[in-house]
Amino acid sequence: MTLQLILIIIFGLGAIWFGWRVFMTSSMVRSALSLLASMAFLGFLFLALEAEFLGVLQIMMMATEMSIMAIFMMMYMMDPGGMSGMDMSHQKKPSIIAASVTGALVVLVILFTNWGSMAVTVPAAARQNHDLGIEVMKRSMMIFETAGVTILVAMIAAAATALVYKKDMI
Amino acid sequence: MHDFWTWLLFIVIFFSGLYLLSVLEKWIYQDRLDWLGPLRKITFYLQQEDVKPGQRDKIFYENAPFLFMAAVLMGLSVLPFTENRVIVDMATGGLFINAALAYIMVAMLMAGWSANGVYALVGGWRFLAQLVAYSMPVVMTITATVMRAESISMFKIVESQEPLWNIIYQPVGFILFYLAAMALAFLPPFDLPVAKGELASGIWSEFTGSRMMVFRTARLMLILTLSMAVTTLFLGGWYGPFLPGFVWVLLKTMLVAASFFWVGKKMSRLHHDRMLAWSWKFATPAALINIFYVGVILLL
Repeated sequence: MTLQLILIIIFGLGAIWFGWRVFMTSSMVRSALSLLASMAFLGFLFLALEAEFLGVLQIMMMATEMSIMAIFMMMYMMDPGGMSGMDMSHQKKPSIIAASVTGALVVLVILFTNWGSMAVTVPAAARQNHDLGIEVMKRSMMIFETAGVTILVAMIAAAATALVYKKDMI
Repeated sequence: MHDFWTWLLFIVIFFSGLYLLSVLEKWIYQDRLDWLGPLRKITFYLQQEDVKPGQRDKIFYENAPFLFMAAVLMGLSVLPFTENRVIVDMATGGLFINAALAYIMVAMLMAGWSANGVYALVGGWRFLAQLVAYSMPVVMTITATVMRAESISMFKIVESQEPLWNIIYQPVGFILFYLAAMALAFLPPFDLPVAKGELASGIWSEFTGSRMMVFRTARLMLILTLSMAVTTLFLGGWYGPFLPGFVWVLLKTMLVAASFFWVGKKMSRLHHDRMLAWSWKFATPAALINIFYVGVILLL
């Protein structure tokens, strides 16, 4: 239990540290991969909380997602390597206010939410896989299907707008 | 956690596998059976001059080879080598191996970016596209084997193949996984990120000496991992007559690896855009059809 708590604290701090590094570097690839490290630490946090499937899924999905983000950040920035001393920050005062208000709101939500009773024993990892499957296929099916179809439509729309338009196509 | 025999067997399989792979690679690609080849290669890399590119991204440059090796080791650790021995027994083994192998792409991307060279950079982004395209058939074919076993545990997947190996039960899945595994290990004809002819060794063009040795060793480990994954998922793992289970695993793994090299030798390097298009247009739909096919068989 103590080891678990220590690991949770270490992984949590790791996630915060890399989340901070995202904004403290001028190199786009370093920034994207710092975010990846932060997300991977969140995955380790799941593992430390004995949620094996969710942890592994988080670690797997983020690797490709953040790497794809890295190439887009590199493509669209005028100084992707950060070697010319580019300053990425702007509108500092409004951002500080917005961040403080949002942070305070999150803390309030954490404090005043009824989290229910704490689970005494964690189900075995294989049982969790089963329960998650049932959850996704039953109660949460509509949500996942809606999200999936929305993403698919966005992908098709993006591919369609990227195609070269030719006059004799129609 | 593990007894002495588990570690001993793992070490035997790991090191003999690496050594045999290294010999096999040279034998098949260059027609030279050189039993001392691996030793010669190691001494070469250890005394090679350490040339580092100027203005490199130091953190990425130093860490990329080790991240590559660590990711491969994590993938290898969930594969069982006898009926009751594995380094890490995960209930989500089939998913975890994907998660681990996704980080070889992160390592290659880091290596490509950090070297501050055009060829390395192109190679790094090429591998990103290649892995994203080919991890789709990998995940989907693993899903079909998981469906048959009704579990993501690697042990259960092998046990489900006792009556009939998956290579016969779902041949389409086997072919897709086999080819996608070659693409993941960037073996010829999929060796575009480190292509010698057209990209001057790509990502590896800026690495020398001990770092290159780590990369080369980790690549051999990756081939070992993927051949062992083919064995576990499609060739019935430890099942086989007369010989003990771990011998069968090693034997099948070596045969799969040898066939990887042989197929690579017989084919010319693919065109990058065609290779990606084939994965998205043919391999991914075929993997979906495979899932449907296995589902129908299971329901019948």
